[in-house]
Amino acid sequence: MKDRTEIVASGFGGQGVVRLGQTLGEAAVKQGLRVTMLKSHGTEMRGGYVRSQVVLSQKPIDSPMCENPDVFLALSAAAYKRFKDTVPPEGLILYDPAFVAEVDTGLKCRQKPLPAKDLAVKHFKRPLFANAIALGALSRLLEGRLDKDKVLESFLEVIPKYKEENRAAFELGYRQVE
Amino acid sequence: MKRFLETGNFAITEGAILAGCRFFCGYPITPATELAEAMSLRLPQVGGVYLQAEDECAAMHLCIGASLGGMKSMTATSGPGFILYADPYGWALGCETPMVVLNSGRVGPVSGITGAPGQGEFYLTRYPTQGGNFETVVLAPNSAQESMKVVVDAFYLSERLRMPITVLADQLITDGMEDISVPETEEEMKEMGFRVWPRSYHRGPDFYPATDALDIPPVQMGHNTGALCSDWTPTEEGYDIEEVEAHHKHAYRLIYKVRNNRHLFSDMHEKRHMGDDPDLVVVSFGTPSRVVNTAVDRARAEGLKVGALRLINLWPFPDELFRRRTTYLVVELNWDGQLVREVQRAAAEGSKVHFLGVCGDLPTIPDLMETFTKLLKNQPLSRKGWELEAW
Amino acid sequence: MAYASSVLVDKYLRTRKIPSTACSGCGLGMNHKIIVQAIAELGLETQDIIWGTSIGCAGRQTFGTWKGDGFAGTHGRVYAIARGLRVTLPPEKKLILTVGDGDAFGIGLLHLIHCARSNASMTVVVNDNLGYQSTGGQFGFTTPQGAKTDSSPYGMFEHNLMSEGMDVLDILKAAGATFLARHVAMEGQAVVETMKKAISNPGFSLVHMPYPCPTNFAARHLGSRVQVNIYNWIKDHAAPMGQEKPDTIWRTGIYHDARGARPEFSEHVWEAVNRIRRTGRL
Repeated sequence: MKDRTEIVASGFGGQGVVRLGQTLGEAAVKQGLRVTMLKSHGTEMRGGYVRSQVVLSQKPIDSPMCENPDVFLALSAAAYKRFKDTVPPEGLILYDPAFVAEVDTGLKCRQKPLPAKDLAVKHFKRPLFANAIALGALSRLLEGRLDKDKVLESFLEVIPKYKEENRAAFELGYRQVE
Repeated sequence: MKRFLETGNFAITEGAILAGCRFFCGYPITPATELAEAMSLRLPQVGGVYLQAEDECAAMHLCIGASLGGMKSMTATSGPGFILYADPYGWALGCETPMVVLNSGRVGPVSGITGAPGQGEFYLTRYPTQGGNFETVVLAPNSAQESMKVVVDAFYLSERLRMPITVLADQLITDGMEDISVPETEEEMKEMGFRVWPRSYHRGPDFYPATDALDIPPVQMGHNTGALCSDWTPTEEGYDIEEVEAHHKHAYRLIYKVRNNRHLFSDMHEKRHMGDDPDLVVVSFGTPSRVVNTAVDRARAEGLKVGALRLINLWPFPDELFRRRTTYLVVELNWDGQLVREVQRAAAEGSKVHFLGVCGDLPTIPDLMETFTKLLKNQPLSRKGWELEAW
Repeated sequence: MAYASSVLVDKYLRTRKIPSTACSGCGLGMNHKIIVQAIAELGLETQDIIWGTSIGCAGRQTFGTWKGDGFAGTHGRVYAIARGLRVTLPPEKKLILTVGDGDAFGIGLLHLIHCARSNASMTVVVNDNLGYQSTGGQFGFTTPQGAKTDSSPYGMFEHNLMSEGMDVLDILKAAGATFLARHVAMEGQAVVETMKKAISNPGFSLVHMPYPCPTNFAARHLGSRVQVNIYNWIKDHAAPMGQEKPDTIWRTGIYHDARGARPEFSEHVWEAVNRIRRTGRL
C-alpha cells in the first residue's frame, strides 16, 4: 500500500463533514499515524461548500493538500462538481444521490452511490444519522489503513447522545460498501 | 508526551504556556480568534491572565504593561490587526521589552479574504513600526507542531535579546489540524529542543547600556529601582534626551544586539535535497513550503536536480544561505513578490531568481512540477496570463 | 500639613529634572506640586508609586521626575500600558499618570474609557493647557469655544467636550470611573484634599486640572504672554460647583465619588483566575 492516503469530504454546512474528517483523524492518531486535516469553511454562508481534507501517513506529512484524493465523499452537487476531477483513476467517489443527482459518467475513477440520507430516514427516522452511515462506509473503504474499531470509538467519544442509534447507523454504512 | 489531533492555535497556546507565558491580551480577528479563545480557556487553569482589549493597539500595549511588571506576555492577530501594532511595537523595540507577537497571515490588502492563507506581511514584519534604527527577529513555522516549538523559541529569544519577537504564521497553520505531541516533563521538552529562559529584572542604574550584549535583564516597574522607560531616545539611565550621540548609542544597541547574536537562531531553516548542489533551489516559508517539499521529492524521483530551502528565521534575512550561484525559485502566497526581492538581493552574483506567487490557496504540485521543468530547460514562465517574472 | 517645596523635592523628585524644561511661567509645576504634596500628606514613599506620563507638555515635563519607577507612553497609549502593568502589581502599589488634554481626551480617549470601564486602579491627572501646546498651540477637545489658536485663527468653533452643556467627565462617569474631580491649581489646599481622595481610591480616579500656558495659548488667545493675565483668565473662568457664573467654563470640586462601589480591575481579574484555577469554574 502506498504511504500517503488522502480523503476529502465535502458538502453543505451542518452535514458534519468537518466532524467526519476529524473522527478519521482522531482514529489515525490513536493508531500512531501522522495526520493533517484542513477544514475550509466560511463560504458555506454563501451557498458554497464545506470541505475537510485529511491526509494519513506513517511518516511526517509534507503537503496537507488533497490534490488527488483516494476517497472523495460528496454530499452536495456543488462539492461533487468542484472536486470530482481531482480524483485519480484508482480513487473512489462516494456520493449521496439525495444531493448529487447528476453523475459525470466520463470519469475514470470508480463512483459509488451511498444513499446515506434516505437510509437514515428509513432506518432511524432522522436524516442526521446520515453522518454516521457515511462514516461507516468510509471506515470500510479505509480498512487496512484505519481500524474500524478505532474509528467507531473516536466517533462515539464525541457523540453526546443516541449512541446506540449512531453505532447501528455506522454499522449499516459499513455494510453498504465492500 | 501526549498526542492530540488539534489545531495550530492549540499548539501555539500550549507552547506559550510551556515557555512561561502567563499573560495574553488580544482582540478577535480571523484567523487568530481561536488562539485567543484557547488562551482564555487555558491561561486561568495555569494561573495566567487572558484579557480582551479595546483594539489591537491597546492589546499590545497591555502586553507591554504586563511585561514591564514581570510577566511573560503574548498577543496575536492577523494582518489588519498587525498594522495597529505599529505603535506599541516601536515602543517595545525602543524600551527593549520582551514579548511575543503572532501574526497569522490572511489575504490582503486590508480586510481582503478572512478564511484563506496569505503571505503579504513579509516586509511589514521586518518594519513593523516607523523610524528605523532597529533590527527585528521574525520566525515562520510551517506546521502546527513546529509552531509550538517556534513560539517557545520566540519567548526564549525575546528574553535573551530583550525585545519583541514576531511569529509569522498563516491561516492554514493556525486553523489546520494535525497530530500534535505535547511534552509533559522538562526532559521531554529538552528532547524536543525547547529552550526556555526565565524572566529576571534589571536593578539599574544603567538600564540601557550601549552594548550588543545578550542577557541584559529587562527594565521592570515595581521594584523601586528607579527604572525609567519611555518612547523617547534614552540616556543609559532611561532619561529622555534630544542628543544625536545618545541616539547613536541606542540605535547601535537595537541593531547590533541582534546582528551580533544571530547564532541564537541562524540554524532555523530546513534544507531538503540540497547536498549535491542542485540546479534549482526552491525557496519558501510557512505552509507553501510543505507543498514545495512534496513537489521537490517528486521531482527528485523523476530525476530532476531540484532542492528545497525553507526559511524559519525570516529576519534578519539569512543572506549566507544564498551564497551559491545557481537558479532560485521563490514560492510565496502573494502576487506582488516580497521574499523574492530579498532572495534576489542576497543571491550570489550570476544567480537567476524567479518568482511563483499564488494567494488564498497553496500552489499545486503540477504547477510546481511544470515550473521546475521549465526553469531547468531555460524556458520562460507564465501562467493564467500573469507574467510571473514581471514583478 | 503643607510641606516645603525643598522637602518634597528631596524626598520624591530627581534633581536632574529640576528645574524642568517647561517654558517660563508655565502652570504645570503648580499641578505637579499639588500631586506630590498629596502623596506626602498620605505618607506614601517612592516605592509605593509608579509614575506614568503621556506625550505632550504635561507628559514630557513630568517624565523622569519621580524618584521611583517611571514610564512614558506614546500619544494616548499610556493608559493601556498602565492597565497591563496594573495586572502585575500588588493592590497597595499606586499608579499615577500625569497626562495632557490632547492625550487623554483626544487620541487616548478610547483607552481611558476602558480604564474607567474596568475600574483599573490608577490616578490620572489630566493637566489641561487648553490645546496642543507642545506642537505650537492648536486647539484640542476641551479648548474653550471661541479660543484663538494656531489652528483656529477665527476662534475655535467646533463642538467639543466642554461646551454646549457637555462635560468630558460625564463620559468617564458613564464608563464606570469611581472618582472624578476638577480643579484649578489656584484653589489651594482644597485641591490637595481632592487629590488625596483620588490617590487613595482603590479604582479608577481622574482629576481634570486646567492650567495656564502663557507661551502659546495666552499669546494667541489673550494676545499677551504676561503670566498674571492667563492665571487670572483661568481663575475667572473656574468656579466651584453650585457657584457657577454665566461665563464659567470649569465647574470645580469633586464631581463623582463612588470609591469602593465597584470591584477593582486587577483584583477582580485575579480573583476570577484563582477561582478558575482552583475549582475549574468561575
